[in-house]
Amino acid sequence: MFVPIALRQARRDRQLVSKRLLLTEDEEQREVTMDTASGQQDLVDLLCKVQHSGPERGTHLKALSKALRDPSEQLTFIKQENSVNLLVSLLTGSNAQCRLHAARCLHELSHSPHTNVAPACLPATPYLLTFLSGQSTKFTELCLYTLGNLFPDSDVVKDKLLAQGIIPALANCIENQKHNLAVVEAAAFSLTQLLQAKDAAEKIIPKVLASSLPSQLLSVLNPDPNFGLAPAIECAWCLHYLACSDGNGELLALGALSHCSSLLMSLGGAVAEGNKEEGMELLVCPLLRCVGNLVSCCPVDSLSTQVGDVRLVAALCAFIKAYLHTQPALARESAWVLNNLTAHSTDFCSALLTLNLVPGLIQLLPFSQGINTMILRVLANVTHKKKESCLQLAQLGLLSTLCATLKMADQEMVTLSLEILFMLVIGRPQVADEFVRLSGVSLLEAIQYNSEGEMRRRAAYLLEHHLLSHSADCTV
Amino acid sequence: MTASGNCPTGTTEERELPFSFTPQLFHLHKDHEDGDIHRHMYLQDLYVSGADDEPALSVSEFACHISGCSAVFSALEEYEHHYNSLHRHVCCSCRRSLPSARLLDIHIQEWHDSLFTVLAQRQDMYQCLVEGCGQKFRTSKHRKDHLIRIHKYPPDFRFDKTKKDRGTREAKRPQQKDTAMEVADDVCESEGVCEVMCDVLSEQRELGETMETLVEEEAARMTKPAATMEHTDLSAAFDGNGCTSSETFKTQYSYRVPTTVCFGHSSVRGFRGRRGRRK
Repeated sequence: MFVPIALRQARRDRQLVSKRLLLTEDEEQREVTMDTASGQQDLVDLLCKVQHSGPERGTHLKALSKALRDPSEQLTFIKQENSVNLLVSLLTGSNAQCRLHAARCLHELSHSPHTNVAPACLPATPYLLTFLSGQSTKFTELCLYTLGNLFPDSDVVKDKLLAQGIIPALANCIENQKHNLAVVEAAAFSLTQLLQAKDAAEKIIPKVLASSLPSQLLSVLNPDPNFGLAPAIECAWCLHYLACSDGNGELLALGALSHCSSLLMSLGGAVAEGNKEEGMELLVCPLLRCVGNLVSCCPVDSLSTQVGDVRLVAALCAFIKAYLHTQPALARESAWVLNNLTAHSTDFCSALLTLNLVPGLIQLLPFSQGINTMILRVLANVTHKKKESCLQLAQLGLLSTLCATLKMADQEMVTLSLEILFMLVIGRPQVADEFVRLSGVSLLEAIQYNSEGEMRRRAAYLLEHHLLSHSADCTV
Repeated sequence: MTASGNCPTGTTEERELPFSFTPQLFHLHKDHEDGDIHRHMYLQDLYVSGADDEPALSVSEFACHISGCSAVFSALEEYEHHYNSLHRHVCCSCRRSLPSARLLDIHIQEWHDSLFTVLAQRQDMYQCLVEGCGQKFRTSKHRKDHLIRIHKYPPDFRFDKTKKDRGTREAKRPQQKDTAMEVADDVCESEGVCEVMCDVLSEQRELGETMETLVEEEAARMTKPAATMEHTDLSAAFDGNGCTSSETFKTQYSYRVPTTVCFGHSSVRGFRGRRGRRK
């Protein structure tokens, strides 16, 4: 598929910006894209007609909005003198229909691929912001998406919108309309546009964290069964962008970790039962990232209480299994969260054992693309923390699996395997006997001929200090 | 992590413990790639749930550990197969690979045991390679003759290598067919007639010729996993007398140590600086 390559390149260039286009009611109903050819009129001509007030104004304005779907027409439009000012006056005029159509025109303009269109729309922004506290759903939605589309296009626009108070406006909007999920989705989307800005960490995120937005986002995080996942998806991405830069633990203080974890757990439960709602991965992804990053900054002694339920590990294992083949990156990120949870917390390591998740994880060790190294890290964490469980781990299959992972081409896998073997043997000397019985000695001897010193030293140490005294009895 | 109390040979190397694993936390950057791409595709109405546009999940490969051997395998059995064929019975001095423990023993004795050299001046020390024959000979040439006459070894066995021939040895070596040797824990029933210690090769006993070149050359031929197997000195033997696939080979503690060459505990294992030539 050609598209992802272009997107990946844009991401690498830090140029990845996406805009959203709200379909017109006609388009939604008929499920056809707007036909710009039908009744195509000269744009300048249309503009003239709109300028002259009269009963047909609305009709002409609607036609104008259709014409503005075309990017080249967008450029033509902004070149016309006072064209945007005209829209602004209609936006704020007394005719409700004209307001709506004018907003639609601005929305089409905001979606332009040409970055010089956005600055031309600046005269409209204070009004768009004001309307966010209005009550008309469709109108508010249009305004929100328009603002969200305009924001990334230029620094001038960014600075103006921030100065004009876009952050408090969004906060108020969500607070007042939190039962209106279409508006919530639109507001959260706009917020994601703010939060992805290159300098967001310095200029924007502190202000957002200081506002009521984080708690608002958390309170609307749970997906509504009727409306679907879309608003939750936008909120989750907002929380992820915030968590990336939340150095002071403000999100933790609001209970973000608990909220996101419990949502992940219910999603994990659904996934484990085979109920994979379409698009669920779009919500799982930002939640995983948010939780993973929050866990990495959470003090260890409060981790269990912050997360709330250690059975989160079961949900994560369910995600790994469910997405292993369809979205390996998502499986890898689930394993990453597991790693962060088990790195320093005995509670979570214990949970993996008591919930009998270890055998399932062991079965995943053949798979590459970073999945097996992350899972092996998780198992290493457990071995590290739960020394009393070394024999149990060995018996669950970890030891015999190490005999396979020690032969892998991936150096990290081999090195981690040696580390785990060392920890197991230290924890329980019987493990050494078993390893010898599994023909592990010759395996380690072979590793001594590896070109990597790190591996040679570890293998040599194990042989010398732990295994050879056993093998002397075993060989002929 | 310390090893105190568990280390049977004492804790002298505690300070040099080569293990360093500590659990680590990882933080993801906000622009972390793949999920982000899907998000933007979703926003741009390009996303199809379940569409297969990610690279397919792959399975980790296995790789031979022996430095210089670049063989790679997709299945564990292939790894085992390769390793047992090429690397199992290896002399730790000259790193030649032998097909069986007995032949390894004989090789070590004849090549690396100075006591053997001394004794051989006065008595018959060179054993016949055919198991069960039991005869011994004063020189390797006598043994070679015996092998040809009595045991019907083909005359074009590479017996008469001289130092000068060394360079062409590789070129003359015929391709080795995969003889599908099985790995078993039993002792070999019959070792097969495999010429290992060409008397002439014994003239090449300088340690300068390490298995380095031999393994690397084999590695160069290992383009397919375990497709062909080359033994350093054995291919002719295999072709000639066919160590057939019914042979089973002893799998055991593999790298034998000639007692007169490798001293002490550490020499059993670690080789530093494999790349250099020892003179």
